[in-house]
Amino acid sequence: MKKLPADNTPGSAKVGEGLLGRKVTRRDFVKTGSLLALGASSFPTILTACATGSSTTKSGPKTLKILQWSHFVPDYDKWFDPWVKQWGQDNNTTVSVDHITYSDIPTRTASEMNAKSGHDLILWIVPPSQYEQSTVDMSDVVKKVEQKYGPQLNFAKLTNFNPHTNRYFGFTYSFAPDPGDYRKSLFQQVGMPDGPTTWDEMLTAVTQIKSKTKGAVRGGIGFSPEPDSNMAARALIWSFGGAEQDKDSNVTINSDAVVGAVDYMARLFKQAETAEVFSWNAASNNQGLVAGSLSFILNSISAYRTAQASKPDVANDIFFSKPLAGASGVKALASEHVIQTYIIPKFSKNQDIAKEFLLYLVDHASDYVYQSKLYEFPVNPKTNAQDKLYGPGGWLDSDPYKSNPSSKLQVLKDATDWSVNVGYPGPASPAIGEIFDKNILPSMMAAAARGQKTPKQAVAEAEQQIKAIFTSWRQKGLVGGSS
Amino acid sequence: MAEVEVREIRKSFGGGNPAVDGISLTCKNGEYLVLLGPSGCGKTTLLRMIAGLEAPTGGDVLIGGKSVRALPPRARKIAMVFQSYALYPHKKVVQNISFPLEAQGMSAQERMEKVKWAAGLLGIDHLLQRKPRQLSGGERQRVALARALVREPQVFLLDEPLSNLDAKLRASARLELKQFQQRVGVSTIYVTHDQVEAMGLGDRIAVLNQGRLQQVGTPEEIYHHPANTFVATFVGSPPMNLLERDGKLIGFRPENIRLEKNAGSRDDATVFRGHVLRVENLGSDRYVYLRVKDAHGDTNVIAKFAIAEPLEFSNDEDADLVIRNRNINFFDRDSGQKAAA
Amino acid sequence: MSEPAVHRTVIIDESFRVHHLLDRESVLGPVMLSPLLIYLVALIGLPLVFVFIYAFSDATTGSDSFGFVGLQTFQTTLEDPVFRIALRNTVVFTVLAQLVVIVLATVLGFVLSADFRGKWFVRFLILLPWTTPVALSALAWLWMLDSLFSPFNWILGNLHVVDQGTPVAWLGQDSLAVGSVVALQAWRTLPLAAVILMAGLTSIPPELSEQAEVDGAGFWRRFFDITMPLLAPIMMVAILFGIVATFTDMAAVYILTRGGPGNATQVLGSWSFYTGIQGGSLAQGAAIGIFMFPVLLGVCILMLRRASQTEVV
Repeated sequence: MKKLPADNTPGSAKVGEGLLGRKVTRRDFVKTGSLLALGASSFPTILTACATGSSTTKSGPKTLKILQWSHFVPDYDKWFDPWVKQWGQDNNTTVSVDHITYSDIPTRTASEMNAKSGHDLILWIVPPSQYEQSTVDMSDVVKKVEQKYGPQLNFAKLTNFNPHTNRYFGFTYSFAPDPGDYRKSLFQQVGMPDGPTTWDEMLTAVTQIKSKTKGAVRGGIGFSPEPDSNMAARALIWSFGGAEQDKDSNVTINSDAVVGAVDYMARLFKQAETAEVFSWNAASNNQGLVAGSLSFILNSISAYRTAQASKPDVANDIFFSKPLAGASGVKALASEHVIQTYIIPKFSKNQDIAKEFLLYLVDHASDYVYQSKLYEFPVNPKTNAQDKLYGPGGWLDSDPYKSNPSSKLQVLKDATDWSVNVGYPGPASPAIGEIFDKNILPSMMAAAARGQKTPKQAVAEAEQQIKAIFTSWRQKGLVGGSS
Repeated sequence: MAEVEVREIRKSFGGGNPAVDGISLTCKNGEYLVLLGPSGCGKTTLLRMIAGLEAPTGGDVLIGGKSVRALPPRARKIAMVFQSYALYPHKKVVQNISFPLEAQGMSAQERMEKVKWAAGLLGIDHLLQRKPRQLSGGERQRVALARALVREPQVFLLDEPLSNLDAKLRASARLELKQFQQRVGVSTIYVTHDQVEAMGLGDRIAVLNQGRLQQVGTPEEIYHHPANTFVATFVGSPPMNLLERDGKLIGFRPENIRLEKNAGSRDDATVFRGHVLRVENLGSDRYVYLRVKDAHGDTNVIAKFAIAEPLEFSNDEDADLVIRNRNINFFDRDSGQKAAA
Repeated sequence: MSEPAVHRTVIIDESFRVHHLLDRESVLGPVMLSPLLIYLVALIGLPLVFVFIYAFSDATTGSDSFGFVGLQTFQTTLEDPVFRIALRNTVVFTVLAQLVVIVLATVLGFVLSADFRGKWFVRFLILLPWTTPVALSALAWLWMLDSLFSPFNWILGNLHVVDQGTPVAWLGQDSLAVGSVVALQAWRTLPLAAVILMAGLTSIPPELSEQAEVDGAGFWRRFFDITMPLLAPIMMVAILFGIVATFTDMAAVYILTRGGPGNATQVLGSWSFYTGIQGGSLAQGAAIGIFMFPVLLGVCILMLRRASQTEVV
């Protein structure tokens, strides 16, 4: 007797029929060697699951286990954990929250999905598209939230909704904008006291600053296998009029616009940066900006918030700019820096209470915005944070966290207009996710900057990789488009 | 070929008594000198200092009249055969033998000629392509000798080369060793703890004990005229009998005893009254264990007779021991050194 | 009259006692071996089987079910330019790291087996990297090689070897990044190799070297002609361990460079992880991992054969 996953939805989990002409599910596969399954790569997770998993079967108070990242604004976690536990007490639910590094979230999710055990809610800060088949449908949550607070912003919808399968595989509730961060004192010296407005201006400014400081202060756009470099590469490409894919998930990476963007990055590296940009991790550009060795980076305001406490002088010198314009007639865009999306794994036995919590979270939008020190913005237009954040005299006009000047964050007032999702103008998808995780775009930029390939060759090679990834996921029925 | 001399050589490994305590000794040109002593007497350390494997704490080593103290082993033009033969296990016999020549930088053709010469001399031509582990003990010894011989050294140093052979092989190996040395005529210093080997092989024997030289001499001198009681009792089997008389120790060999009934006193011989405890028949020899009683108390004595000689005594009989005076050695009772009659 | 029957019952009873059963080697052997066997099957054998099955499938991390697609994943893998770089890098890094290890481990083997004052401290220092988990030591190295906070840069800056404001990008330049990864791999596999070689050196009878010394051989001839050939079989074992540890490792690259600059330090382990776990294409990741298998198998067979052929005293 062969068991198929009980909650196998018809649209998604199409069981493959391969050369051997038989259907296999990994659950059967794993279950067959129940004891020996200890040997699977998910060994530690199974142990964790064993240690934490038994409580769900108890009767009595409900439980809810949440896994999320250690927030870039550490004070947020200090607020969130007691807050959600209090909610649990009020709702006869024992809530536990585990925090791990953002970069461990995908690995941890993979092992929990494999072990069919773990947390009821997992928070991703990038689109969790590849888990579509293993997560609970969220359309009911999205529908309720939209009724109350207006429709999800387009880039949020493209993050948690797969138009190809017509399914909400996660629930996106907030995002962090990704403006430019610059050192005003340095930009003043090169005649741009209000920061750059175009990529060319930025290149000119950082080049001049580098030569004025004899190389001590350099440009801060990364070429590394890490998220910030990924975001920067996409922002540049969009502003030059290019994109990874079109609206219908057809690959469009090989275009003159993208070649132009790669060429720009190669020039940026040669004129204003050093080989350090190939070795950065996600924190490096923040650290460089605060340490005074970088003049301009693309990043959220979290580094600025940290500097306010540790280095007030430096914080006072950090200002923000809107997305830089590239080609003429093209709208300047920035990637969302993080996009907070909860998923509920299908193995969760506490799906209802998990969804209740999500609704409660959105009801308290102004709390999480405020507690994240304005790092997170809601993705629905009519939440209770809307006026407090954007309204005249609101938090962005007058920063409650003592910016100097307090209007410094006004730049972010129209962030929802210029923020887009990874994969724009198309939806996020497992293919887009894999491209992101394999750092194909930063590597493409790096190949040209290091002189290993011409921009054209670098783009062509990236196209080859990207098309292979799309092909593979299209075969699984999770990605649309045909080219 | 060269003379080897050590002068006042000492070696101390730190703590305790020195392993070698001021030995002066010469191995003459072409001589076969045996270093004999019980284990731990310092004979191997002495050999290793001559080889240069051990640095002396004091004193000097001369080869061919020149001090070699500052020279590394490879510059001393010596050849050494270790107890284990130390054949290079990963090399064939031919490569083992030619190794010292390679180190000299000799051409391949010359090397082959030398190897063939050495192998022919030792009769191991047919073993050249084998690996050491395919050889018997005797064959290994011959390979080790060939390797030592091949570079025509000034001196051979042999460290108990027979001790790894079984008893059956040992006698014939001894003969071979002696013949070999006679043929090549190289000065040879041979270390052993086996007095039979020493007696059979050595032109001269140097007896060592506790790091000191006890006596150097021909096998006859060592055997018949031991310099002290240590040599007297270490060499010979059974050892020399020692009896105390008139404040001196009287030593005589077991084979120099005649047994008589009621022997009178004589001018040319010394007589002791004894009692037969036990007679032991060893095939070719007969050992008679006796107790000698006199004013100094009881002393046990062993007498040895060829089996062909008739013996008229049996267990528990009185017997008088008659020893010719020229076969008697006198030793100082306190120092154990040879003394006048 | 019934005595014989009574006797027989007693004998049978005795022989079935458990402690008597354990006296039998045919029973005791398997019992003693079973923990190892379970360990091997559960932690090595089974994952290997999983990897093979996944590699021929279209499995993803996000879904329960998968079907078999034959060699398609392998075809995709072979066409992937980064895979080819990773394969080359894996081989190159392993060879470079093990070359360094052979030289240094031999030196350290001599140091470890030598007798001198304070040798326990030196031994402790030599073994230290081995006791540190690779992830932890890689993090320490990451800090030391950080573009902004590297103590090396601080030292070089203060010595005025480089300008203080413009640090050396240890992990940003191809050759330095490759060197850093190789150095880390050599550093962490070195202690075990050194200890193995120490054991090997101790097992060589000292009179072989003395014999060679008397036979007229200088230090280098003794080393290359006598010591090295005798050390070779045990060195093979050390290298085998090193190759396996380096070839399969992803932690060093993942933590130190994440494959950068560009993909210059990408290895099979890291690329398999990025593709299979992070990127979700489990099948693809497994297929990349599979390429380690024939290489490792070949290396193992080759080395074990050579090791068993070499002379031992």
